Amino acid sequence: MKVKQAKTDSTSRRTFLKGAAVATAGIAGWSGKKSESQAQTTWKNPRGFQQAALSQLDEGVRVTHSVCLGCNARCGNRIVVRDGKLETISGNPYNPYNSFAEPIEYSTPVSKTLSLPSPVCGKAIDAGNYVYNPYRILKPLKRAGKRGEGKFEPIEWDQLIKEITHGGKLFAHLGEHQEIEGLKDLDNDTPIDPDDPGLGPERNGFVLMTGRLQTGRKGFIDRFVKASMGSVNRIGHTDICGLGFRMGNYAFTDKKQVELKADPWGAEYILVFGANIYEALQPGVNTYGAAVAKRSSEGKVKFAIVDPRAQNASTHAEDWIPVKPGQDGAFAMGMMRWMIENKAYNKEYLMAPNLEAVKAKEYSCYVNATHLVIDDPQHPHNGKFLRLSDLIASSDDKAKDTFIVLSAKDGNPVAYDRIDAAVLDRATTVIDSSGTSIKVKTSFRIMKEGVMEHGMDDYATFADVPRATIEKIARDFSSHGRKAAVCQYHGAGNYVSGTYAAYAIAALNAMVGSVEGKGGYMTSGGAAAKWDRGIYDLKNFPDKRKAKGVKISREKAAYEKSTEYARKKAETGSGYPSRRPWFKFTKGGLSVESMSGIDQQYPYKCKILFTYFYNPVYSTPGGYRYQETLKSTETLPLHVSIDTGINESNLYADYIVPDVTYLEGHYGWLSPHAPALRFTGLRTPALEPLTGKTADGRSFCLETFLIDLAKALQLPGFGDKAIPGKNGTFYALNRAEDFYLRGFANIAENAGTPEASAEEQQFVEQNYLVSKFQDSITKREWKKTCYLLARGGFFKRYEDVFDGQKFKRAVKRALLYNEDLATTTNTLSGKRFHGSLKYLPPMDSADNIIDEIDREYPFYVITHKMNVHTQSRTSVHRWAMEIFPENFVVINEMDAKSLGVKTGEKVRLVSRSNQSGITGKAQISKLVRPGCLGISFHYGHTQLGAAPLQVTGGNNVFLGGKDVMEGNFMVPDKKLGAGVNPNMVTRLDDNLANTPMVDLVGGIPDFSSTKVRVVRV
Amino acid sequence: MNNRREFLKKTGVLVVGAAVTNTESVHAKKSTEKWAMIIDLNRCTGCQSCVIACKNQSKTSAGEFNTKVLSIETGSYPAARIVYTPVQCNHCDDPPCVASCPAHATFKLTNGIVVTDWDKCRSNGACVAACPYEARHLAPQYDNKVDKCDFCHNRLEKNLQPACVESCPSKARVFGDLHNPQEEFAVYLENKKVIVRKPGKNTGPQVHYVPSFHAQEGVL
Repeated sequence: MKVKQAKTDSTSRRTFLKGAAVATAGIAGWSGKKSESQAQTTWKNPRGFQQAALSQLDEGVRVTHSVCLGCNARCGNRIVVRDGKLETISGNPYNPYNSFAEPIEYSTPVSKTLSLPSPVCGKAIDAGNYVYNPYRILKPLKRAGKRGEGKFEPIEWDQLIKEITHGGKLFAHLGEHQEIEGLKDLDNDTPIDPDDPGLGPERNGFVLMTGRLQTGRKGFIDRFVKASMGSVNRIGHTDICGLGFRMGNYAFTDKKQVELKADPWGAEYILVFGANIYEALQPGVNTYGAAVAKRSSEGKVKFAIVDPRAQNASTHAEDWIPVKPGQDGAFAMGMMRWMIENKAYNKEYLMAPNLEAVKAKEYSCYVNATHLVIDDPQHPHNGKFLRLSDLIASSDDKAKDTFIVLSAKDGNPVAYDRIDAAVLDRATTVIDSSGTSIKVKTSFRIMKEGVMEHGMDDYATFADVPRATIEKIARDFSSHGRKAAVCQYHGAGNYVSGTYAAYAIAALNAMVGSVEGKGGYMTSGGAAAKWDRGIYDLKNFPDKRKAKGVKISREKAAYEKSTEYARKKAETGSGYPSRRPWFKFTKGGLSVESMSGIDQQYPYKCKILFTYFYNPVYSTPGGYRYQETLKSTETLPLHVSIDTGINESNLYADYIVPDVTYLEGHYGWLSPHAPALRFTGLRTPALEPLTGKTADGRSFCLETFLIDLAKALQLPGFGDKAIPGKNGTFYALNRAEDFYLRGFANIAENAGTPEASAEEQQFVEQNYLVSKFQDSITKREWKKTCYLLARGGFFKRYEDVFDGQKFKRAVKRALLYNEDLATTTNTLSGKRFHGSLKYLPPMDSADNIIDEIDREYPFYVITHKMNVHTQSRTSVHRWAMEIFPENFVVINEMDAKSLGVKTGEKVRLVSRSNQSGITGKAQISKLVRPGCLGISFHYGHTQLGAAPLQVTGGNNVFLGGKDVMEGNFMVPDKKLGAGVNPNMVTRLDDNLANTPMVDLVGGIPDFSSTKVRVVRV
Repeated sequence: MNNRREFLKKTGVLVVGAAVTNTESVHAKKSTEKWAMIIDLNRCTGCQSCVIACKNQSKTSAGEFNTKVLSIETGSYPAARIVYTPVQCNHCDDPPCVASCPAHATFKLTNGIVVTDWDKCRSNGACVAACPYEARHLAPQYDNKVDKCDFCHNRLEKNLQPACVESCPSKARVFGDLHNPQEEFAVYLENKKVIVRKPGKNTGPQVHYVPSFHAQEGVL
């Protein structure tokens, strides 16, 4: 093939793009001149031969601005497609995630943006290998052998719907004769447990667990599970995503927000605790890491890393503090102690008892450091804040909400909102109107007592770092005023006892006054507009059900209201322990305790499990334990998976429903995880779905499946009159777009976007597949929606969320003492949790310190994500796998020497719970703490194309067709199974049915406490 | 090297044409551009976006790369860190590959880009061996023709940045025209001290590096 380099003919290009090319001059960014080399010569250019990826400026391409899901950071994407095939993906220049939070002006016509550069990371660009993965399934499958045996056969769509709806002897042909209940059998209000109606109706026997769920589809799934089927059990996976740091923030912000981080665009000093800022995080390296790297290269920010692994960010870090796994809290507590003892905290700020008192000094959030707490076992409200209603008899509701502080002037009790400064550090007695004395302490005092329980040397010992290091970092952190903040993520607290570790880390920000300030420890600005109300009501509908009862995870439920508690209390006088822990004080999303609940049929039996992009066997620490759970048709009578492939978990499913990838569907409205930023990105398809179709031409996917089930079950909320309009009309919900396009129309209306110009409407209609469905909404709504679609969402600027230094979307109060936590009971021990900071080592459910009971296992296994991968689904990212074909067991060079292990040699890791162990290749490094073995996720797959399967008619099931089939056997690609999965060696809790360990406050799974022996192979 | 003039002098840009004698005969017209790249190691996060963008752009053979990111662990525990060096064809002013090719298949355009003509390439591998930077490879998927970075010449034609430059989230790769430097490229030329890989080879690389201010070992 001759490639003539002179050929960039703009005359034949679409008028629109021609306009684009002309219009680029003068726009910020790329301003390189048009190359004159085109006039030079012709030669056979490799790029022509290789069919180099086309760009958005090439002829005959479609360009879609959408939102990535290469990982859950969700950057903006500009997706280029020609002849239905993905060509390339770059960033969306309107999206702050792709532009150092300085995107182009939102009103810029889209035609002027197409030639602008905009980055995305490798995960995004590798997407084509995910979409065109030859092991993708396109047709529904039904189990054709025993659970887990790896035998499947295609099933017709209508038959699939019928079987799941009505149940029956679905596997009689395999010799399994039990009657299986279908969804129809659970569509009733009989109590699921006649002895404990509080657990809810039979409906709760239907559980839908979501792995990689997104806003948009979440609304759709919740509609089906909660509002139509009436089950409480739509369970997320926040726990394995990273519940530890979230629990710390949950306690710190009075349950208001969980996603707080150092503002990477404004901070001067960032203290990183277990946040993998150059490899993972949300926002990811394309946003957060990029901001830190660029600003640190300019001398605008410095950062230190507290992590047993130095991380890739060590390349630019000031300091790396290789803390002992599970001891982030000890390090933070040591810093707290140093700051208290050296008065290196913002005293004036902490003394301010209310929001008004701090606002004048440009703060957006105050800390309850001065608020008095009742510390008096005789008092009925012991452990609660002292309120005005505790001092004077009053039926006034305001008195019940009015905290009491001690005036800084005279030390007398006064309502917190009456003064500007209060006593910070005191224990005293106050007298109520009846003359009774009440012992009280300030929140700061209780916090301080927790911190002072251990000395600096103790904390240094627990964290196993020099005391001088703690002091140095505390000094650095406290010498940047309000522009120092913590960035804590997955590693900080994702282990048993992690709630208290993460709470202490969060509290550091209160000490310097950086909470919710520009350059400080900030929440996200959130979604820019509501999707569920406005023109269309996407939440409510006639005969909507209200889900009732207790989730199978026991999250956010009070054990003390259960029949089990009442019975035990009657028998023993205490009511404790519960059979498994309950989690009243948690952010929730407890997939691990749900799976363990299903395994133990506690508090009731799960009869039908749907799993959505969820691979617990692979992705859960200790997930191998759930192979037993999923294998048993007694424990779990019916399991339906919705996914794009056959993975380590749905290998055990009874049915697998093929779904589309995020480039073909997964409509959504995505808000930022980033500090400060406020926007709603819109995800719409850039590619036609590759899955099969129903008789009436709808593609197989999540929505088609749920709609057809709902209709077969005659559930409310779906069908011809399902969506109430503001105008009193009811609209149809018969296809995915009926729902999502109305969500888009609501967002456009609520955001107040203008109607798109004729040119931009034409751009959308020529480029966006969703245009086919525009008749779901009115012409006016469509024009406004086009304005959003053309830009890939609705984006505010970074500056827009600030008023001076103040953050407009701030949480208003941060807590050094949390009374809800303090008055929640550990349902195993029967003791109350501590309501403020406290050092706790990682312990199992029987309070055994794991470090001690596993002494004969000398090495900790620590885990991390890699920059080119997402948790479990990127083994098919071909280019990522070319760069890193396998992962390693990374061993510190000193340990390697004493073990006599060299890079490339195989080692077996044996834990108490997995005696046969896991085997991986060693890699020697100085960037991991001695005594720790660093293993990344993403590798060691045993499915997703890595092992053979028997699939009758597989030629028509797998995207690769006959390329991946031999007769009825799928031919695996061994490269997809390279490396080792650390979750397969995780310690389990032998006190609790040998299920994976969880933190008893929040239900946090454990990623840091597993210890192993190393055996040379 | 603190000002642009000195930078140009040192990199040989002021003597335009001197290094392109081998290719003059195939050029009907001299380019007014001279492309170069500056890679700031204080910005590189080692994220591999450039490598994957390059794979997608050029569809290089499996396991072969036109750009990659080298890494080295430096210091001693715990005062240790990783340092990244993205590498690729340096588009040398005096490219040993060009001189080595018996078929004259590889040559330098007047805009500085060293390209390979796949009509002329006989896959004998002399250029692969001649390159001091291991920037070239025989491409098994393409009849063992020799592949390497060409600064995404096909994208430059369309006024687009090279794929690796566009995809770099932290703007560690700063690209531009030495004859008409703009924006950040101009700022870097003015203000940054840059070095090249293997300066002893005297090849006049046009991929320059701002070394890490955190580490002794910098450019690999």
